[in-house]
Amino acid sequence: MRLYLAMTAWQSWAVLRRHLTVYLRNWHTAALPPIFEPIILLLVFGVGLGSNIPDFDWKSQNVSYLAYLAPGIVAYTVFMTAFFQALFAAYIRMHYQKTWDGQLTTQVRLEHVVWGEALWSASLGLAYSVIVIFVLIGFNLGGWLDLHWSGVIATLPLLFLAGVAFAALGLLFTAIVPTIDHMNIPFYLVIMPLGFASNTYFPLESDALLAQAWLMINPLHHLAEGIRLLMLSGIWSYHLVMAVFLFLLMILILLPVDLRLLRRRVLGEN
Amino acid sequence: MSAEIQNNPKPLLSAHGLVKHFGSSRVVDGVDLQCRSGEILGMLGANGAGKTTTLRLCYGFLQPDEGSVFIDGIEREKDPDGVNRLIGVCTQDDTFDTDFTVQDNLLWFGHYFRPRPTDLESRVRELLDRFDLSRYAKAKPDTLSGGYRRRLMIARALVHQPKVLFLDEPTTGLDPQARMAVWELVDGLRNEGLGIVLTTHYMDEAERLSDNLLVLKEGQVVSVGAPRTVLGDLVGEHVVVLDAKIPQAMAVESWLEKEGLSEPTRILNTWQFALDGTGLARFSAAFGELRFEVRPPNLDDLFLQLTDDDS
Repeated sequence: MRLYLAMTAWQSWAVLRRHLTVYLRNWHTAALPPIFEPIILLLVFGVGLGSNIPDFDWKSQNVSYLAYLAPGIVAYTVFMTAFFQALFAAYIRMHYQKTWDGQLTTQVRLEHVVWGEALWSASLGLAYSVIVIFVLIGFNLGGWLDLHWSGVIATLPLLFLAGVAFAALGLLFTAIVPTIDHMNIPFYLVIMPLGFASNTYFPLESDALLAQAWLMINPLHHLAEGIRLLMLSGIWSYHLVMAVFLFLLMILILLPVDLRLLRRRVLGEN
Repeated sequence: MSAEIQNNPKPLLSAHGLVKHFGSSRVVDGVDLQCRSGEILGMLGANGAGKTTTLRLCYGFLQPDEGSVFIDGIEREKDPDGVNRLIGVCTQDDTFDTDFTVQDNLLWFGHYFRPRPTDLESRVRELLDRFDLSRYAKAKPDTLSGGYRRRLMIARALVHQPKVLFLDEPTTGLDPQARMAVWELVDGLRNEGLGIVLTTHYMDEAERLSDNLLVLKEGQVVSVGAPRTVLGDLVGEHVVVLDAKIPQAMAVESWLEKEGLSEPTRILNTWQFALDGTGLARFSAAFGELRFEVRPPNLDDLFLQLTDDDS
């Protein structure tokens, strides 16, 4: 319980503030990828590839590939941003820069460092997703998309929650990878399959039991589908409820494991 | 020793029965220690004796399996935040925030404490001046020389005006001039009333700076007290130094064995061994024709003895 309460502690927010301060110093370069990446993806895949894909039937409505892709990119962005911040950036701060060691000589404890990293990763994931949403608004205004915006604002807390959950997953690998070179392993074996086989870029629909089970327990799938239904049809679906449930479950399970493993790695504790 | 010690008999730091295991290894084994205001407690021991682990238990980086730590009467386990507000820590490795300048490292460190340090910006300016860092205020810490990095590490540990300062091997890797500069700073802090706990591999550093020594071996305290007392306890009153190539070498070894003393320490072409007053008289009587040097023991002798015992 102490670990979960640490989320509200001033120390966790001081760590978050430190990361924000460093980020804002380089905002003009740091903000370029999240702005250009969705534009490029939407143009290359949505407009380019999509022009060769006829409109298809999805949940009883006719959609273009660009319209299908747009909400998937919102979900994919929060996933990748939060995960990578908690993996690469946190690893560099922990291992190379020794930022954590310095913080741990103050009133900041390891649970605060972990929460600070998770909250920061989630904040960045949310911010980048919001940028993607603004890009989609641009596409909407340009007449390429016709999306429902009324419920999108309400999904922002869900995107933040998703960011915390994916950061908790990233921190798990931060705690266990022996060196930075070993990060290829979670990237190719876990992240790429999870990122793509989640109805983000293409519909993964199969009657096979294994595929159904995978989609049922896959939080990114529920996030992508939930946002898609909201954006394309204005429907609040059970996917959003499932996403909240699975993200909360991830946080409840992964963060104590992260802390235990990081305690061993950073502090040398058993 | 500063006048503060006599005026403040109550210890600022006290640890009782500290025990820490790593796996099946008992790295710290029942350590008690105390440090008062205006006092430097030097912690000595060979590699792996448990110095850094003991220090980390005291400053809260590690949690003890048994025992307790009090800072200014506050028990760490009951109020870790309260205790951490009262201590400053300078770790063995540089742990700067390399994303910030020298000045911002000090400022940002202040953000990690509550209550917040009063008038933080002027405190930072004061520390930059005092530690001769003002000209590097806008530089990144990794561009500083080793001596100035250490200064920054110590300055950072003081930004919130702690009462107890932990210094883990503060001069390792520094040239003699930079080491002496750090000694001056540490001595000044002691005179201002800080309680300082210091670990070091440099015996001259421990000897010059420490008011009290605590000697660790295999995680246990083998001696504690004023440097002369510790040396007398662990080494002896006199150290005899003689040429190892003398024809009577075998006879000296036999004499030491007969007296129940340990083998001499061999350093290059010399032998060294400690004797008390009567032992020295007997040695002189037995080997009156030998040329040898007698000197008071120093901490190098203690360190060699501890490492010899280990080997």
